Amino acid sequence: MSTNTPGFRTSTKATSAQKRAPWILLAPFLALFVLTFIIPIISALFQSFTTVDRQGLFGEDGVVGRFAGFDNYVTALQDAGFTASIGRMLLFGIVQVPVMIIACTILALLLESASARWPGFFRALYFMPYGVPGVIATILWSFLYVPGLSPIVALLQSWGFAPDFLGAGSVLWSIANIVTWTYTGYNMLIIVAQLKSIPGEVYEAAKMDGAGPFQVAWRIQIPLIAPALVLTTVFSIIGTLQLFAEPQILSTVAPAIDTEYTPNYAAYTNAFAFNEYGVASAQAVIIALAAFILSFAFLALTNRPPKNERDQKKRAKRDGLEARRALQTRGTSATGSRPATGVANRSTTTGAAPRLQSDSKGAEA
Amino acid sequence: MTPTPDRRISRRHLLGFGLGTAAAGLLAGCAVPGSTNVNRAALIPAAAGGEKIELVYWAWLKDLQKVCDIWNAKNPNVQVQANWIPGGNSGGYQKMYSALAAGGGPDIGQVELRQIPEFMLANGLVDLARYGAKDVQDRYDEAAWAQVEFVDGVYGIPQDTGPMGFYYQTAILEQAGGEPPKTWDEWRGLAEKVRSTGRQNYLEVFPVSDASPFTAYASQAGAKWFGIDGDEWVVDMTDDKTLMVAEFFDGVIDDDLVDTSAGAYSPGWYAAAASGKIAAVTSASWGDALIQSVQGGEGKWEVAPMQTWGDTGFGSSAIGGSTAAVLANSKHPKEALEFITWMTTSKEGVDAMIKYCGIGWSPAKDYIGAQREQPSEWFSGQNYNEEVFVPAAKEQNVDWSWSPVTQSALNSLQNQFRRKLTSGLKLVDAVELAQREVVQAFKDKGLGVRTAR
Repeated sequence: MSTNTPGFRTSTKATSAQKRAPWILLAPFLALFVLTFIIPIISALFQSFTTVDRQGLFGEDGVVGRFAGFDNYVTALQDAGFTASIGRMLLFGIVQVPVMIIACTILALLLESASARWPGFFRALYFMPYGVPGVIATILWSFLYVPGLSPIVALLQSWGFAPDFLGAGSVLWSIANIVTWTYTGYNMLIIVAQLKSIPGEVYEAAKMDGAGPFQVAWRIQIPLIAPALVLTTVFSIIGTLQLFAEPQILSTVAPAIDTEYTPNYAAYTNAFAFNEYGVASAQAVIIALAAFILSFAFLALTNRPPKNERDQKKRAKRDGLEARRALQTRGTSATGSRPATGVANRSTTTGAAPRLQSDSKGAEA
Repeated sequence: MTPTPDRRISRRHLLGFGLGTAAAGLLAGCAVPGSTNVNRAALIPAAAGGEKIELVYWAWLKDLQKVCDIWNAKNPNVQVQANWIPGGNSGGYQKMYSALAAGGGPDIGQVELRQIPEFMLANGLVDLARYGAKDVQDRYDEAAWAQVEFVDGVYGIPQDTGPMGFYYQTAILEQAGGEPPKTWDEWRGLAEKVRSTGRQNYLEVFPVSDASPFTAYASQAGAKWFGIDGDEWVVDMTDDKTLMVAEFFDGVIDDDLVDTSAGAYSPGWYAAAASGKIAAVTSASWGDALIQSVQGGEGKWEVAPMQTWGDTGFGSSAIGGSTAAVLANSKHPKEALEFITWMTTSKEGVDAMIKYCGIGWSPAKDYIGAQREQPSEWFSGQNYNEEVFVPAAKEQNVDWSWSPVTQSALNSLQNQFRRKLTSGLKLVDAVELAQREVVQAFKDKGLGVRTAR
């Protein structure tokens, strides 16, 4: 944008070079981005609307691809296993994401508190599970779940319990455990980074006002790391919908996990076990849309103005409506056309009034 | 900031342009993969005398190059190069499918027996009957050959199979007061006896998450799930034989006579087998190598012929097995067939395949491999290959054949079988539900299909 402002223009030649420079610098990235990201997405979108007709027992007499409209989407959504998998992931997300976010916030706050010992060491320690690839982590955990191999199961059995970590009702939470173990440290690091950006004066001021460590955490740190919390939550929602490696690996030891256990697993099965690329693409598009909608719903929810502001807006609206009603009752008794503009003006002024008031209050304080 | 009119190509224009070209390119290049049928084209003649050619073989057999090297030393003009790929559905097939779609790929590929029709669906295999495969048919076990032959064509050459037997731990059966079962009813009685020896002791596992054993049992009983009627597929998964097998295992699971927590050869299974909680496994001949990984199992196991369904069905059944198939884009199918025939039927070839690659049962009719003619020390000095598996390879359901939707059929069965544990669905009903999904899978592929009943 600054390149457009005439003040910086010394000669036209320099500007065209300036114009070219970012594109040249971006070219390697853009080329890879288009090749490995944009084109596959378009190709998947395109495939999700196509299907194949075959002649003969094996298609030996002819294979014809054709446009299928929304047939693949209908097939995907009519598949009870696929819709069940979406429901399963919602349940998973509702439980696992808050647990993980709370856990990583507590860890981050503890590490950044004044009384923390060896914060660097523990930060590295908590982050370590993220360095273990998901597949390996799942294999490791599966050894802790399988009866006959697991020391945990053996210990619990010796106390008289009969734990079944891989049963139909419990395996989802065994997966949640693996995911939480892997990603809590990673999310903690994002929050720690945000905590570090809080200027020291804020803490000093809080200390001067006599705030204890709990109050510092509750009234200063948590409100100020809110953006990081939003970010980690959005990432976690998207990650939940994309869950794949953990259930796929665990399915070898947990009979309750079928090939449509998660939406991504269902798409994978359709594409690579059944060669049904059309339906698989449709499922992938549905997963992407779901992640999109959920993430934006969450962002819209958290980006709302604070509660007192919303209340003021509501009040202003109500005031406006009352004023309009009052005017209309007056208007019907007087001339017909004039009140319309009057109402509009009136409502905006009444709407702005409470906010002005609160602003001036803030300034006084 | 004042909005100034901007005549350059904006970022948005450029992006739109890029997307447009990409989409156009995709549309233009989007001939459906596998729409050309190589078996309608002219025959590819043998290479001229003296011409040196190279064949490429993609397989997940280990050390296959050592087998090829024996051939290469004797055939300077036809050199075979082996390339390792991941096993079947773990990535190998995907690799072959994409190579085929791109118009390339190796001359020979390892394709499981059950997967042959799915490769045919992609027009990915050469009909070897056109290159003289039927002349060598009598060198192979009948049941293995039946699974590579479709409507007069031969689409792969069997290179290993998996006839089944009953592996058991002798001490545990003695302790329970039982003997290797002759029939499935006796097997049930034995399961009850083993069950009464301890809370966690079972005779066998029945994996709900792997339909292969169930499929093998149904095939043993005489089921024939997939058939061809003219231009149409006939699906018959609810015949009397299959329902009898399903009902049998419904009873066995309901009475808690089998362990359903995991399949054979899973980590939990090895632990249970080593500690004596699993007494036996009904499995294919290639199970011998896997069972030898049971810790401390040496000298404790023996093998008996597979239990039968009484007066119906066959003496044994089979799990697994693969072929060497000539892929559609091969330039030298004739020479490829010659090499495969040597590899799978000559004494040299079979012995090398067993020694280096550890293949399953050799489908060669007259030769099981020198190594397998000897008694095995691990299996209590028993000469089990000649005693059990030589007859088992001959007592097979030769009518059985696979279909172009084998993978989704097995997947449907597995997903429905799991509901036996999660919601108490009967296997009898699971088979019926799976059949509906299988019929739909045929339709989704654009193939003609009907159910038999």
